[in-house]
Amino acid sequence: MLFNRNHNTGPAMGAGRILLASFLAVCLTTTTEAQTSRSVPDVTAMSMEDLMNMQVTSVSKRTQKVADAAAAIFVITQEDIRRSGATSIPEALRMVPGLQVARIDENKWAIGSRGFNGRFDNKLLVLIDGRSVYTPLFSGVYWNVQDVMLEDVDRIEVIRGPGATLWGANAVDGVINVISKKAKSTQSTVVTAGAGTEERAAGGVRYGSKLGNNTYYRAYAKYFDWGPSAYPSGMTAHDGWDALRGGFRADWTPAGANSLTLQGDLYRSRFDETLTVASLSAPYSNTFPNDGKYSGGNILGRWNHASERSSMSLQMYYDNTTITDPSLFGDHQNILDIDFQHGFHVGDSQQFVWGLGYRSIRDKNDPSFTVSLQPNQVTLNQFSTFLQDEISLVDNRLQITLGSKFERNKFTGFEAEPNARLLWNLTPNQSIWTAVSRAVRTPALTEEGLRLNSAVIPPGTPSNPSPLPAVVAVFGSQQFNSEDLLAYELGYRVQATSNLSLDIATFYNNYSNLRTAEPGTPFVEGSPAPTDIVIPFVAANKMSGGTYGVELFADWKVVPKWRLAGSYSYLQMDIHKNADSQDPTPDNPNGSSPRHQWYLRSSVDLPKHFEQDTTLRFVDHVSSLNLPNYYSLDAHLGWRPITSLELSIGGQNLLDNRHLEFMPDFVNTSPTVVKRSIFGSITVKF
Amino acid sequence: MLRRLGILMVALSVSLSWAPEASAQASDSSDSSEYLIKAGFIFNFAKFVEWPTTAFAQPDSPIVIGILGMDPFGTIIDQIVQNKKIGARGFVVKRLKWGNDLKDLRDCKILFVSASEKTHIDEVVQIVKGQPVLTVGETPGFAERGGIIRFTVEDNRVRFEVNVDAAHLAELTISSRLLTLARIIQQPAAEVRKPG
Repeated sequence: MLFNRNHNTGPAMGAGRILLASFLAVCLTTTTEAQTSRSVPDVTAMSMEDLMNMQVTSVSKRTQKVADAAAAIFVITQEDIRRSGATSIPEALRMVPGLQVARIDENKWAIGSRGFNGRFDNKLLVLIDGRSVYTPLFSGVYWNVQDVMLEDVDRIEVIRGPGATLWGANAVDGVINVISKKAKSTQSTVVTAGAGTEERAAGGVRYGSKLGNNTYYRAYAKYFDWGPSAYPSGMTAHDGWDALRGGFRADWTPAGANSLTLQGDLYRSRFDETLTVASLSAPYSNTFPNDGKYSGGNILGRWNHASERSSMSLQMYYDNTTITDPSLFGDHQNILDIDFQHGFHVGDSQQFVWGLGYRSIRDKNDPSFTVSLQPNQVTLNQFSTFLQDEISLVDNRLQITLGSKFERNKFTGFEAEPNARLLWNLTPNQSIWTAVSRAVRTPALTEEGLRLNSAVIPPGTPSNPSPLPAVVAVFGSQQFNSEDLLAYELGYRVQATSNLSLDIATFYNNYSNLRTAEPGTPFVEGSPAPTDIVIPFVAANKMSGGTYGVELFADWKVVPKWRLAGSYSYLQMDIHKNADSQDPTPDNPNGSSPRHQWYLRSSVDLPKHFEQDTTLRFVDHVSSLNLPNYYSLDAHLGWRPITSLELSIGGQNLLDNRHLEFMPDFVNTSPTVVKRSIFGSITVKF
Repeated sequence: MLRRLGILMVALSVSLSWAPEASAQASDSSDSSEYLIKAGFIFNFAKFVEWPTTAFAQPDSPIVIGILGMDPFGTIIDQIVQNKKIGARGFVVKRLKWGNDLKDLRDCKILFVSASEKTHIDEVVQIVKGQPVLTVGETPGFAERGGIIRFTVEDNRVRFEVNVDAAHLAELTISSRLLTLARIIQQPAAEVRKPG
């Protein structure tokens, strides 16, 4: 096979050639078997057994799901993930139109929707099987902690724009919902193993079975090991990582109205990075290879009760995340979350849903000189309720959704997040939708009690003529308030023919009370020694402005075995500090997100059970981060000679040796490049 | 770099230019659109379900397939059954709208209830109750609520459930060939249906 562990470009290029040769070989074999008919396959000539063995493609499933929503929703199916060659959730998310996905180093990502991208992006809510995985530390997501057995994912639903009414605070600019298959759909054993140039080794096992007549379960374990990438200079970096993870899911579905689900995961991960931290003695700044660990686990139980006219669910989970990084910050987080929902029909045309939520967060942290958090032990209790009414009018052609979430949190008290949505099915094949929503991003623990010593200015220098070192420090503030969004959205979808669909979403977002860092009064600090001057910058809410944009997605099944999908997105940000802000960082109206992004993906089913996928992606430059634009070409070739065996080889970033995708913020880790890489895998099902 | 891009583009264009022609082999097709497969099933249902002789006016009366609500098939189903015959009977496909065409529901031999009509399932079941109409749906709970056949998609493949009691009530005889492939749904015996 084409695996190799070498990181210089030579072998990888060689592998690239072999890959090309194999593409060509496969392509050429098709000539002998080509037929000319282009009509709909004659399914009437097929037996029911044959029909039952036919795989459903994702197109219609996606449009089915999507056609009903008055929101910019995009669904990544299991088939999409498999054929993209993606081996992680962040990489799979690159196919979402308009989503900004950038890798900072091999174990860190910046993922954002509709602007404000960054490693600590705080406007995106991410759920895995109903379990919120955003960290109350910075209201963002540790992407390297979030992983699942990708073979068991049913779909990833991504909503761009606010989803606060249903999901609550922090679902400001988007919601990502990773949904795994029911245990009943994974009643086989799957063994997968792979190796490549960057992801050096990966393997996973899933076992599914049943207990009695009504209980299905599965268990999985997986492991991967990524080798180091390179700095922009080309030198080998210190950013490898590995992770071991295991878990289970059991579904009990007796005859009748009730069902129960119990699932859980355990994981541990070790990661490398190059860290730069400030210090009070010469040379006042240290850059060194650092390593840290993540570990944690979660357990979730859900009870569902579905009757003819109503449904109820009660979900409860406990989640522990531990970060161990002595040079920077340690954190132990325990979250208990209880969620109740009740939906019922009112008459023929209304569907009412309401819910109650309780969330308790216990956080305990181990500070360092660079990062500390006060108090270093805290318990937060949050209560929420929501109600939503979906009203169908005019033969179900008009759908009005009205709802609001109400939340109570320790920092800002009561918050209301209402929205109104309207979906109009113009014809059975096209619909137009619009929405107005308010969302808030409630303060994170760090915004209340953080102290981040971001730099030390040596004494006796032009910017610090005093004899004491000057510490530039960012502080949280008890006065920090929620960030607010008022969002206006308009979208159009059309299933032009049974083979072609188009989805357009546009938005105008109006933000206020966005975070700034306002200079405070410098003070002298005696401890820790030596004595130093602190130049504080304090979190405040003195920035506002608007963003607008458009996201297009088209899906064209050219012929039954060739699908083209394409996306283009445009984002314009116009964010300015308020007149009374003294934040010295230059005004950056464009933010840290690319203005233009597009991709084109071709998926071909070849004879002899080969399949080939190619994606060409363009990401615009980000001038505020000094990042040039880049193109990335990914290709994937899969072969399934029998249904129980799949061989797959994928190449990522085939066009260039390396490109830089993003820069770190707040925590100064050295960014590394995305290299050309090859990954091959074998999957056996029995 | 550019040169390699060139090679790649050639490779791609070669692969793409051949692919369309290779694509129409229905026989080894392992992958196709959901509603194409479902249309194939519906044709098979017509083959393996026996209607009472009184259900048809003439021996060569067509089998009327009604699609109630938003049509997910597009033109696929028309193409599938065009010029097809089961015995002496051909097919007619009708699109029906809730509200306007309620009296036509009973004239269908196969009635596909689209997911858009999820709020009307109980009424549909009531309207065709006792009539020889094979109701086919997709909404979860369709068969439990008195629908006869419900499509599901599991592991990317189309499966179906059959409510045998509902079929019996409609005086339809479902071939064991079909039943062996189906998941059999028992309608809760104690369940009291609201009068329509």
